[in-house]
Amino acid sequence: MACALLICGCGSPQSMFRSASKQSHDIDLLWWWMLGAAALVFFGALALLGIAWIRRDTPGLPFFGERESVAELMVLAFGIAIPVVALVALFGVSDIYLIGESSPPDPRKTAMTIHVIGHQWWWEVKYPGTGVVTANEIHLPVKTRVNVVVTTVDVIHSLWVPALARKVDTIPGAHNRILFDVGRVGVYRGQCSQYCGLEHADMALKVVVQTRAAYRSWLNGQQRPAPATATPLQAAGRNVFMNSQCASCHTIGGTSARGAIGPNLTHVGSRTSIAADTLANTPANLAAWIRDPQAIKPGVLMPDLGLSKPKVRELTAYLESLR
Amino acid sequence: MSSPELSGGGAQRIARTLGRADPRHSAPSGVWGMALFLCAEVALFGTIIGSYFYLESVDRSWPPHGVEKPEVLLPVLATAYLLLTLLPIHLAARASRRGRRGRTVAAIAVGLAAQCGYLAWQILLFSSDLHKFSPRQSAYGSVYFTMLAVHHAHVLLGLALDLALISQLLAKGLTRYWLIAVRNLALYWYVVGALAVCVLFTQISPSL
Amino acid sequence: MATTVPREGQTYVKRLELIWAPRPGLLGWLTTTDHKRIGILYFFTSLLMFGAGGVEALLMRTQLLGPHSHVISPRVYDEMFTMHGITMIFLFVIPMTTGAFGNYLLPLMIGARDMAFPRMNAVSYWIYLCSAIFMYISLAGGHAPNAGWFDYVPLASKRFDPGVNIDFYGFGLIFNSLSSTAAAINFIVTIFKMRAPGMSLNRMPLFCYAFLAASFALLFALPALSLAALFLELDRNLGFHFYDPAHGGSVLLWQNLFWIFGHPEVYIIILPAFGIATSIIPTLTHRRMVLFPLVALAEVMVAFLGFGVWAHHMFTVGLPTSATIYFAAASLIIVIPSAIQLFAWIATILTGKPDFKTPLLFIVGFIIYFILGGLSGITLAAIPFDQQVHDSYYVIAHFHMVIFGAAVFPILGGMYYWFPKVTGRMYSERAGKASFWLTFLGTLVTFFPMHILGLLGMPRRNYTYPAHMGWTLMNFIESIGAYMLAAGLLMIVLNLLISLVFGQETDDPFHGDTLEWSTSSPPAPYNFVVIPTVTTPYGMYDTEDRRRDNKRLARGEGLLDEGHETPMTTAQDADLVEILEMPPHSIWPPVCALLLAGMFAMLLLVHYWIAGAFLVLAGMALLAWHSHEEQA
Repeated sequence: MACALLICGCGSPQSMFRSASKQSHDIDLLWWWMLGAAALVFFGALALLGIAWIRRDTPGLPFFGERESVAELMVLAFGIAIPVVALVALFGVSDIYLIGESSPPDPRKTAMTIHVIGHQWWWEVKYPGTGVVTANEIHLPVKTRVNVVVTTVDVIHSLWVPALARKVDTIPGAHNRILFDVGRVGVYRGQCSQYCGLEHADMALKVVVQTRAAYRSWLNGQQRPAPATATPLQAAGRNVFMNSQCASCHTIGGTSARGAIGPNLTHVGSRTSIAADTLANTPANLAAWIRDPQAIKPGVLMPDLGLSKPKVRELTAYLESLR
Repeated sequence: MSSPELSGGGAQRIARTLGRADPRHSAPSGVWGMALFLCAEVALFGTIIGSYFYLESVDRSWPPHGVEKPEVLLPVLATAYLLLTLLPIHLAARASRRGRRGRTVAAIAVGLAAQCGYLAWQILLFSSDLHKFSPRQSAYGSVYFTMLAVHHAHVLLGLALDLALISQLLAKGLTRYWLIAVRNLALYWYVVGALAVCVLFTQISPSL
Repeated sequence: MATTVPREGQTYVKRLELIWAPRPGLLGWLTTTDHKRIGILYFFTSLLMFGAGGVEALLMRTQLLGPHSHVISPRVYDEMFTMHGITMIFLFVIPMTTGAFGNYLLPLMIGARDMAFPRMNAVSYWIYLCSAIFMYISLAGGHAPNAGWFDYVPLASKRFDPGVNIDFYGFGLIFNSLSSTAAAINFIVTIFKMRAPGMSLNRMPLFCYAFLAASFALLFALPALSLAALFLELDRNLGFHFYDPAHGGSVLLWQNLFWIFGHPEVYIIILPAFGIATSIIPTLTHRRMVLFPLVALAEVMVAFLGFGVWAHHMFTVGLPTSATIYFAAASLIIVIPSAIQLFAWIATILTGKPDFKTPLLFIVGFIIYFILGGLSGITLAAIPFDQQVHDSYYVIAHFHMVIFGAAVFPILGGMYYWFPKVTGRMYSERAGKASFWLTFLGTLVTFFPMHILGLLGMPRRNYTYPAHMGWTLMNFIESIGAYMLAAGLLMIVLNLLISLVFGQETDDPFHGDTLEWSTSSPPAPYNFVVIPTVTTPYGMYDTEDRRRDNKRLARGEGLLDEGHETPMTTAQDADLVEILEMPPHSIWPPVCALLLAGMFAMLLLVHYWIAGAFLVLAGMALLAWHSHEEQA
């Protein structure tokens, strides 16, 4: 099992073994120790069953014979004494010591706070104090303690980025928190892990961890309103957006579009994926998504707008320009 | 204790076997069944009351703004009256043990009439509460009315049992089978009484 | 060791045959109160449900065979995993263990002629059947429950699930819990009051201890579920606010209530399986259980402690850290009684002379999966690790090891073990062993890779997954395993069905020494010609007992042949108290269940007054069934 884990673990972008934080790393370490102890118990018990099979025609134990007291002692030792010791050790390490790292952080001991809000079926990310709102992509500075506050506008979701931290549920009426404190620059994938309806499977997000300078410049870019249209095609796309249903669900900063149901699209062109990390953000994918979202995410709340092909092309050009 | 041998043949057989064992030592299985059913009832009410206090711990204003604190006097009086109506039921159980069918039926009938009065009274209180606030306004209203409704349904079931027993005792007499039923009826009402007190204290807890 | 009735006893046997003769034909099955017939009805119904749940599982595994597949739509997938959970837990495992095995075997094991309340036993079955049909009608109509068997609000609230899907769930479960509550009461009273004279509590087989513990757990756990479902329906249909945080309600109230029921439920599922294991092991290893009293105590402890661990399903909802630590500690403590039983089984197999026939093989498989499931369960009590893998495939792996490996394997072993008892014929040992290996490997291949998938970050309840996640291979292997497993299960059913007709006739192939083996196979409607009296520990029956019984039969003692009679004894020492007259048959239990089904259907259709009328009619039917008085 360990080998299989190692082989697969490297190829899997959402594996908990790609740990990039102390929290995640310690949970990994805990897992390997538990796996070792469990393997010992499992193969020990299997060996006992093996002996039973070999000696199936002879009653009693090897060496001790049919002495009932030895059999009873065996049950007491393996059934009570050894488990008590092992369980107390596990309890101490995981539930007394390590739990400090997975418990919600003290907000005063963190450098910044972000809000992650679950929607059916995408993630909204807010950076309080900066006015920045984005979707399905969390940008964070490296080696910074971040207090992540999770809430929901509809049902229970669960924010899980295995490489960075434990998961936490978004409970209606509550403000749950976890700590992100990432040690390495990189892109980490996460996903909703509490069943939240039809498109639960396609509700992923990316955490982009950058150097502090890169993060600051990203944040500056996001604080600006949407860029002006540069080509006639884009301007036409802008018209399509403002005059169709789009604007009633989506916001684009600096324009009249102020919808609050779908993701904020002010800088959608700067994101690497669309539809909660279901598709890479390419013009072709974006066009396909606009043309028939239900084909890509059946049940998604975005309706089929029935736009003509040229209009889709214009709209795609406009949205891709929002960097 | 050694296990008694069963002896064979004839009608005296059962009498003789019974003579060896002591029936008083052991409740009949019917009573066991009722006792266990009541255990489930107690668990049900325990869960409702637990839910009440859980919701209270979640909600900061309890009862919510605009809802006055529950009245104390009338519910206390009503519950005290319910406990009084247990007396005829208790007397019915005693009369049935002595094999007096007429008295048993009469006592249950008195109990039934008194308990009908109780239920009517409670329904009046319930509907006057409904005029003050609604279960559709807040979780407080939801759990308040649900708890009381379940309790009243519990009493209603007791009334149905009273009625069923009266009819069966009149039709079939005080056989061994129905003797146990009277005992079960009394057991049921004792538990209704105990649960009524628990429900009462939960109901009036915000005013205490 | 079955009875060969001496010639002098034949006249008594004829008398008993006459008194206990079942009604012929379909009417006989409809009105039966015979625990064996009810057990058989339970068996075939729950087997059918097992098939339905299995088909749902195969559909899911087919959908997940590769990434981005579209075998079934997300809507159907959600209904499949919801119905799979409901079916396997409420409509298969519980009815199969308590309903089929418990009903058929328990009275036989304690030397009784029927359950304590035969008509209530029948009504339990008919209610179960009606509730199963009730919930499956939803699937046929395309409105099956779709918020998971755990049915978390607010996803299950009217706002996010406006159809009748969830109402089928809510009313169906309340309906079903009536059946389980009645069955639990019946089992407890039967075990305490109906034991054969002399079978004091310390002489009772471990099987009965397991069923006693499971029944108590059912009795106290079910009200929480019924109440949670009641609150849900009030919220959905009458606009109440139990689960609505905007009006002072709490979504965690649902989770707490559900798991207060849900975790004891796990032990309700697995305790009867323990009971089956502790019946098969001593027989096929030719020795009694090591540390019998401690194992009995451990069984009871498990059921008791099971009520104190529910919030370990909720480590990620943001409970205070102190609460999570308490629940983690309680979850670790429950390991101890489980470990005691585990090593008692292993020690018994080790020190006995195990005869690895098919039933014992399934028990060995059970032990292996119980260890795996138990160990992964321990890792989940390490809170930080649980918070990492919660709601991932790791958890699916864990509870399928426990529920499929450790609860269903003993059921399968038990089917083989008691098949000769129920049918009087022997199954095919070769096909039996082959079916074991197919099932065992199928289980391993299906569920073991799920651990790895969970660690690789695959969440549960996803109808599909992207291709670049590194999950494709494991999912493929699992789906292949699922087909293997289905083939293995099919082979078991075929083996038993074919053996039913062509199997060699047999009476007591394993030389079992609990009481059910002391009578003929299949047992006569009256179970025992002579009411057994137990003088040796552990409810065992030996040649000496047989000789004594035959002598008593020759003298005409202990027959109870003046009616539908069975002895009632004291709860602790099993001293004889009286002879009970049992009700013979009754049409009212199915009528009563049908009327209740009418009530729940009307509740579903929001016709409350008609529902009330059905309830009154059901009450009257209940009164009518007292037209025949039993001595209770």
